[in-house]
Parts: sequence; C-alpha cells; structure tokens
Amino acid sequence: MKLDFNPNKLSKTIRRLLFLAMLFAQFACEDIIQVNVQNQSKKIVVDAFINTINKIQTIHITRSIGYFDSSRTEPPVTNAKVAIIDQTTLPGKLFVFTHEKNGKYHFTPNPLTGDTFTIGHDYALLIVIDQDTLLSLSRLHPTAKIDSIRLVDVEGNGPPINTTGKYIELIANDIKGKGDFYWIKTFRNDSFLNSIDQLNISPDMGNTSIKEDGQLFIYPVRYSKVNDFSRSFKSKETVRIEIHSINGLAFAWFNLIANENQNGGLFATPPINIFTNIVPYNETKKIGLAGFFCMSAVASASVVIP
Amino acid sequence: MGYTTAQNFTLNGYIQDSINRETLTKVQIIATDSDGKELRTTTNGYGFFSLTLSKGSQQISVLKPGYLSIKETLLLDKHLNRNFYLSPEAESLDLVTILANQNNNVKSLDMSTQTISGQTIKKIPSLLGESDVIRSIQLLPGVSTVGEGSSGFNVRGGSIDQNLVLMDEAPVFNSAHLFGFFSIFNPDAVKDVELIKGGIPANYGGRLSSTLDVKNRDGNKRQFQANGGVGTIFSRLTIEGPIAIPEKNLIRTPRKIPARSSFIISGRRSYIDYLAKPFLNSNLTGSQFYFYDLTAKANYSYKRDNLFISTYIGDDVFTAQGLFGVKWGNSTVTGRWNHVFNKRLFANFTYYYSRYRYNLEFMNRDATFNWQSYIVNNSTKADFNYYLSPKNNISFGFQTTHYRFIPGKAVAKSETLDLKFGLPDRYALESAAYLSNDWNANGRFSMRVGIRFSQFSYLGPGQVYVYNRIPGKQGVLDTTYTTKNGEVVVNYFNPEPRLGFKFQIDKTSSIKGGYNRMVQNLHLISNTTASVPFDVWQPTTNNIKPEIANQWGLGYFKNFGQNGEYEMSCESYYKSLQNQVDYIDGATLLLNEYLEADLLNGIGRAYGLEAYVRKATGNFTGWISYTLSRSERKVIGINDGNWYPNRFDRLHNLYVVAQYKLNKKWDLAANFVFSSGTPSNFFSGQYSVQGYVIPDAGSNARNNVRIPNYHRLDISATYTRKKTKKYKSDWVFSCYNIYNRRNPFSIYFSTNYQGKGQNAAIQFSVIGSFVPAISYNFTF
Repeated sequence: MKLDFNPNKLSKTIRRLLFLAMLFAQFACEDIIQVNVQNQSKKIVVDAFINTINKIQTIHITRSIGYFDSSRTEPPVTNAKVAIIDQTTLPGKLFVFTHEKNGKYHFTPNPLTGDTFTIGHDYALLIVIDQDTLLSLSRLHPTAKIDSIRLVDVEGNGPPINTTGKYIELIANDIKGKGDFYWIKTFRNDSFLNSIDQLNISPDMGNTSIKEDGQLFIYPVRYSKVNDFSRSFKSKETVRIEIHSINGLAFAWFNLIANENQNGGLFATPPINIFTNIVPYNETKKIGLAGFFCMSAVASASVVIP
Repeated sequence: MGYTTAQNFTLNGYIQDSINRETLTKVQIIATDSDGKELRTTTNGYGFFSLTLSKGSQQISVLKPGYLSIKETLLLDKHLNRNFYLSPEAESLDLVTILANQNNNVKSLDMSTQTISGQTIKKIPSLLGESDVIRSIQLLPGVSTVGEGSSGFNVRGGSIDQNLVLMDEAPVFNSAHLFGFFSIFNPDAVKDVELIKGGIPANYGGRLSSTLDVKNRDGNKRQFQANGGVGTIFSRLTIEGPIAIPEKNLIRTPRKIPARSSFIISGRRSYIDYLAKPFLNSNLTGSQFYFYDLTAKANYSYKRDNLFISTYIGDDVFTAQGLFGVKWGNSTVTGRWNHVFNKRLFANFTYYYSRYRYNLEFMNRDATFNWQSYIVNNSTKADFNYYLSPKNNISFGFQTTHYRFIPGKAVAKSETLDLKFGLPDRYALESAAYLSNDWNANGRFSMRVGIRFSQFSYLGPGQVYVYNRIPGKQGVLDTTYTTKNGEVVVNYFNPEPRLGFKFQIDKTSSIKGGYNRMVQNLHLISNTTASVPFDVWQPTTNNIKPEIANQWGLGYFKNFGQNGEYEMSCESYYKSLQNQVDYIDGATLLLNEYLEADLLNGIGRAYGLEAYVRKATGNFTGWISYTLSRSERKVIGINDGNWYPNRFDRLHNLYVVAQYKLNKKWDLAANFVFSSGTPSNFFSGQYSVQGYVIPDAGSNARNNVRIPNYHRLDISATYTRKKTKKYKSDWVFSCYNIYNRRNPFSIYFSTNYQGKGQNAAIQFSVIGSFVPAISYNFTF
C-alpha cells in the first residue's frame, strides 16, 4: 500500500492543489510585507521530551519571543525547580533535573542505581517557577521493534525524488492493538533531520481510518518521510532511525504544528494557538504556557552505507 | 364599503416581449378609473397578472424598465382575459426612452429587493470581459464578498451558505466556476435576477440571509436565433427558437405567429488549459483545466396551461495526468406546470432534482485514490396566487424536499489492495407550508402578512452519534447507534412569521418596514478563508441545530428628478442569528466521521445602513451604493467567549456603476469598488520545541487585525455593429483593475519562510495587476 489516507494531510494536499490552481490564473501574486505586531504575552515554554535512552535527559524552559524576532534567542528561565515523579511506584520515585545553563535542566539516568524510566509507568512533571507550580502528566508507552533498515537504489526523475542514489526503508511492524502512536526520527551521521516536512508521526501503522493494525508501517511512514529526497545517502555515511513511542495527545500536538506550518494562501484557515499539556497547578497570577511533556520508549537501529 | 363583486370585473393575462414572446416578470400594470383612482399589480414569476377592477372605462398602463410602455383605455363590462406585448426599447427607431418605472420602487410593498435584468448585467465592465450574474450582484447595496477568488457572496453579514440560490426554482449548492471568478449562470440565458435581502416573502425559505432567484429565458417563440461570444477565457453559444412552427409561418410573413412551444440551449466552455499548454512543464502536459456548462429549456403553452422543462449541467475539471484529478459541479432538472384555474387563481407546480458533486483523485504509478462527495435533493412544490379582491392578493403553497448527503466515499486501489471506505450517507426530509396576504388598506397603507411553517426530519438509515458536550470544547463520544431506513432521528418544527408594510408619504416617497424569521437546515462546513469546492454540506442533525435568523428592517424610498428618473432608497436592518456553526481550533473537516464533535454553536448579529441612488433610464444610467455594516459572532470556546467580527465583515462598502451610451455605436461603462479590509488573525509570537519553530497567536483573539482596504476601478467600451437586419455583433474592450492595485485577499504568515530561518508576513493578492481583455459577441 503506497497511499496515506490521513484526512488532515488530504485537506492539506487539496489546499496546495487549489493554491496551484489559483496561480494558474497568472494574476495572483504574493508580497512580503511589514506588519506591526507586538508579542503581547511572553509565554513560558516547556520543552520536555524525555526518553529511555541511557543519555543525559534535558528539559528546556524558555520564554516565547516576537514573531518577527529573527535573532531566535528565546530568553531562558533559569530559576525553576524541575522534577519528574514516577506515579506508579509507591512512594513516587523522584527524578530531579538540575539547571545546567541557558534554561536547560539535566538529569543523568543510571541503570546501576535504578535511576531509569520504566515502560508502562505514569510520570508527572512538576515545575516551580517563582510562586507558580506547573504540572503535566505522561505515560511511558512501549514502542515498536525495528527489524532492519533496508537500502534501496532509486533513480531520481523529478520531484519529489531529485537525486539518483541510495535511500533507506524502515522495516518495522506496529505493535498489535489499536492506539499506538510513534514519532520516527532519522539521524544522518548523528544529526537529526528536523525539517518540518520530514516530521514523521504515525498512529498505529500509519493510519487510523483503516482496520488493519500490527503490520508493516505504511509506505509514507517507512519510506517517504525517513529520507531527504534532495540528498541521497553517500558511501560511509551512518543512518540511524529511532522510533519513539508517544501518546495520542502528542500525536495531535505534532499534527497541528505540521498543519500550521503549511497554512497559507487562498484557502488558509485562521491561525491558531497550538495547545499545551503543561497546566498551572497553583498559580498566583495568570501566566501563558506553551510546550509539551512526553515520555517515550525508544527503539533504535543504524546502518553504515556501504 | 361600496364594494360588491357585481360591479367588478377581472382583467387577467400574461405579459410578453413583443419580439420573442418571452414572458416578462415584475411588469407593473396600473389601472386608473375615470375618478383617477389607481390600482396596481405586478406580474408574477411566470408573467401572469390579475386585477379586479370596477366596471367602466379604465386606463391601463403596462410598464417595465427597458421596454416601451403601453397605455391603453379599456371599457370593462365583463371579465377580460387579455395579454399585453411590450416592445424592447432598443427596437425603437430613436433613443427616446419612456419613463418606465412610475415610482414602482416607492409604491410596491417589496423592500430590500433588487432586480437586475440580463441586459444590465451585460453592460457592467467585468473581469476578462465576461459579464457575470454573481459578480454583478456583488455591486448592490448590502452585498459583499471576501474578495476575488472566493465563491459566492455575503448578504447583510451572512455567510455564503446562507443565500438560497435558485436557478429556475432548483437550488444550486455552489454557484461558482473557477473559484468564484465566474458564476454558473450564463448571462445569455438569463432572463432576470432578483435578490431579496430582507422582508423575504413567505414563499421563500430554507436559508437565513437572502434569496437569489435566477430565471432563465424560455426561448424565442417566433424565429430561430443564435447568439454567442468569443472571449479571452471562454466562449459561449446560445441557440433558441420555436418548436412546431405554425404552418402559416412557412409562408413568408412579416410578423410571424408565435409557436406554442420553444426551446433554448446555451453552453460555455473555457479554454484556459489550451492557452496554458505552452507554459507547462513536461510532467503537466497532459493536464486539463477547464469548466463548462450547459443550460437547456423547453416550454409548451396551451390555453390555460404552460409546461416548462429545464436543465443545467456544469463542471469544473482540473487534472494533471498521472498525478491527480479534481472535478466539481452542479446539475439540476426542473419541470413546471402553470395552470390558470380561473381568472383569479393561478397555480404553479414544480418538481426539481438538484445535485452537487465533487470528485478527487490522486494517483501514482502503483495506486489510485478516489474520493467522491454528493448532495442530492428531490423536491415537489405547489405555489398558488389567489387574487381575492382589489385589496387582497393571497399566495399560499407547500413544498417537500428529500435530501441525500454522501459526505465522502473513497476507494483506494493498488495491485494488492482494493479498499473502500468513507463516511455513512445521511438522509433528511424538509417540508414547508406557507400563507401570505398582500393587503392594500387604502392608497397609502399596505401590508404583507405571511407565515411559513417549516419542518425538518433527520432520517435513517445511518449512524447516529451522541456526544457529551462541555460548551466550547470538543465533544466526547458517548454512544452511537444505527437507525433503520426512514426512521426519524430528530424532528425540528419552526414557525417563520414574515411581515412587511408600506406607508405612502406622497406620490414619490414612502416608508417601508419589515420583519422576517428564517430557518436554515443545511450547513456548509468550512474553516478556510475562501470557501473551497470541497466544503462539506451537512444537514441539521441531533448534534447540529437549525440556524435561525430574525431580521428587522426599515427604509425610506424616494424618487426625484424632472421625471422621477432617480430612485433613492435608504434602508437599515438588524439581524440576530442563532445556532451559527463554528469550529474548535484545528478541527478536521474532511472525511472526519466525528466531525460533529469538532463543531461549536454560537450566536451572531449583523446590522447596517444601506444607501442607494439609481438612474435607470436615459443615455446615462448607473447607481451609487453605500453600505455601512457590521457582522459579528459570539461562540463559547472562541475569543474567550467575546464578540468577534466575521471573516467577511466589512465596515464600508462603496460601489459606483456608471454606463453611458455615447452614440448608436459606442457604449462606455465603468465601475468603482471600495471596501474596508476584512479581519484576520495575526501571529504575534514564536517559540521552539524539539527544534520545531511554533508560531503563537498570543491571546486567543479571533479576527483581531484588519487587512488593508480593497479598491478597484474597471472600465469598458463596447462597439456595436449592425451588419444586416439580423446579424448584430459587438466588440467589448475592457480593463479590470485599471490602476493596477494589488488588493490583498489575505495576509498569512510563513514560519521559516522558504527555509531561510526567518518568519515572514505575506500579502496574498488573487489579482495583483490590471487585466485587459477583448471579447466578441454576436446575434443572428
């Protein structure tokens, strides 16, 4: 099966098609303009994607900046107290994150002392900033197993595949049973392919609208989104794929980001605020919040291009 | 009292064009008796009239703009059945124009109603030289649009699905070709267009904001005739003529006897795809991009009966071979039977079928994906006009419509897979009955009182979803159950009172007022800036309540000038709306089984002031229309539950339309449009998570910023040549947007614009330059 029936993507495709159609009219045009908007609320942004990889885990806390601020330097929040609590164990096991620098809070897992996260457990993130306490919850779901990474030779003959050469295909099966969500990340020589167009998220085997489940990920997930078709893989390069388990809320969150990123043109939908799962637990004043907390189990495989 | 039937006689009949014998609607018939007492009526939608007059000599005037008036004295000593034939002005030897309107706009009960004839539409300068019905009515007071490239039109702060668009009585669900640049109405086939914005009579219902009633021509009953045009973007051809020509006509006679029946066939096809071909890259060479439409109609009259059958079929097609295909269009079939039961009772029976459909296909070497969606309705209705007495005209009738909604059927096919999926069909039955009386109390005061009862049943078979709802939040599915064929899931019953009055101040001025309550059970689900052809129509269900509007209007009407050639009106309105459909942020509208969970329910209000001055006769004609208006909405879950402006809210709308007949050969025309900018949402902040830059709109204010104003000037010049007595042609030279303004359609935001790491605000103009065009039209 080589098609994806995600309705969100479908409407996006339609929007692009129609946009193309409008340009057919030849009279349409786009101009970059100066708009005077002020960033009314500097929101607290929590970036807390924690996984089971045995490496330093980071929670990044910053404040949002103006939309046209090209410096991209988000002011860090350095005075927070940050911890994750295992809610399944009694008493709740505490994982304390300490401030390293620039709003980055670190925790180093240690399998020897048992300071690791456990699949199936529920975790709570607690952040105290000044007098305010923020809370978020996430379950650590199991993730899919990777069978292998297959190399494929492809002839580049126009978009989307422009370059002839070696590409990869992820051979992995979805976990049996409905309601699994994954975030699949490709690393090329240890650098994450983080373009929004390659954001590869998948409900079950890649589609919620069909009955099948527990099988090979569908083609767009296992092939289209794991490659950067503008650059084929070269000899000696290392490719690593990680499958992170996420939850339905995280899937919806990622989906909105991807949609919002492609919004525009004649058939644009009104801009929206991406929701957050960080909530005020007790707040002394109304504070704007953004970001996401998600616990992930990770399956990983890598291959060196011959 | 002094009124007994013994002294009264009825004059009734049809009014037709003297040349082609088209029946004429909205013609005024004024009868003045020897004491100078005046009684008036207008022809109905089928050209029929009936007037009960006192015995004796009556001076009858028959008037319609664009036609030479008839003045005739009749001695009424028995009931009289009599047809009148009006000659078109253009046929007269010189340019003498007769004042035709006789203060009809002041004296008639209608308010908030605008009529445009096919002739006027053709004179308005237009995009690419192609005159268009919908783009013409967008120049009327109270009507606006989001911008070029948006399907449909907004009336008095209503959304586009709140207009009932009728083509020969059958509703059409998408009136746009090419994303709204053109409409589906072929101007060559259009007889006249009536837009009713307020004081909507009881015979119309089903939409909140307006009724656009487009009546197509019946076809020339005297002789064969062809007319058409060759334009920049499409060509048109219309053929019409009598069927079964009376034998006498086979001998050459100067004035042919009209046939009992006639036909008209009218078609258009665009050829953008052929023009674009040289500019397309190789993998788009097999692409098609065109629209076509075909309107056909035939009629037969015999004594007291008239039969009409008409059909429309049209599609927009956009395909790129091996990649995708998109197609959408309407088709309608209408059958009608007029019957004059007696001199005072006129009836019309209608059956129609109307379907809107779209089809979407993606393919690659290995697989295809095909998705179709339909809305189909079958309706029968009966309308009666009973001319009870000189003071009372009663109309009544009933209608019942069966709807079938096919929101999405999808098929995915590859070598190994044949997958069918989609959303379950939905069924509904809508019925209505109405009764209305036009009561002319005395010369000064008249009143229209009407009531319409509408009933809507959401029917099985299908899946019914029951949601637990917290206002402003996504619904949580509680249960679903399956219903049997014809099982009623939910019933809604709504009375819709309609009221209108007129008080005549003097001969040339009056005050009119009205109230109407409207109910709408079909909802267009769209969250995009412009409506797309793929928007989904949903019926009222157990989760979606009927939309309801209450509208109050008050207006002052005055004619002035030497012969009263200037018509002026000033109207105000207030509309309150209930059960308006909105969406939670990020709602998925396509192929979403649980769509209703994403819908929110709100209230709306719209109010405004419309000023309109028009000169309908003479060498110089045109109008100035100014509208001051607001259209707002309040929905729990959006904008913190506060009022916010609708996407199509425009505070000021100024339209100037001017046409000047320079001489027998040249006609000049211009129009100017100014509209305040529409509201929009702007991003104010940004942040990043996991390396992804996420834009942020700050506080949850919806539509909180205005995009710049819209203004535009169009001009045209028409050169008419009369080669032979039969063959006439004209060249139209036009320029749209002559001062080359880049009117913003929307401003949108690109996060990480073109991958350069910068965010940008982008102003999108659908038409960003002036558009010159030449077209050629002919008649023979």
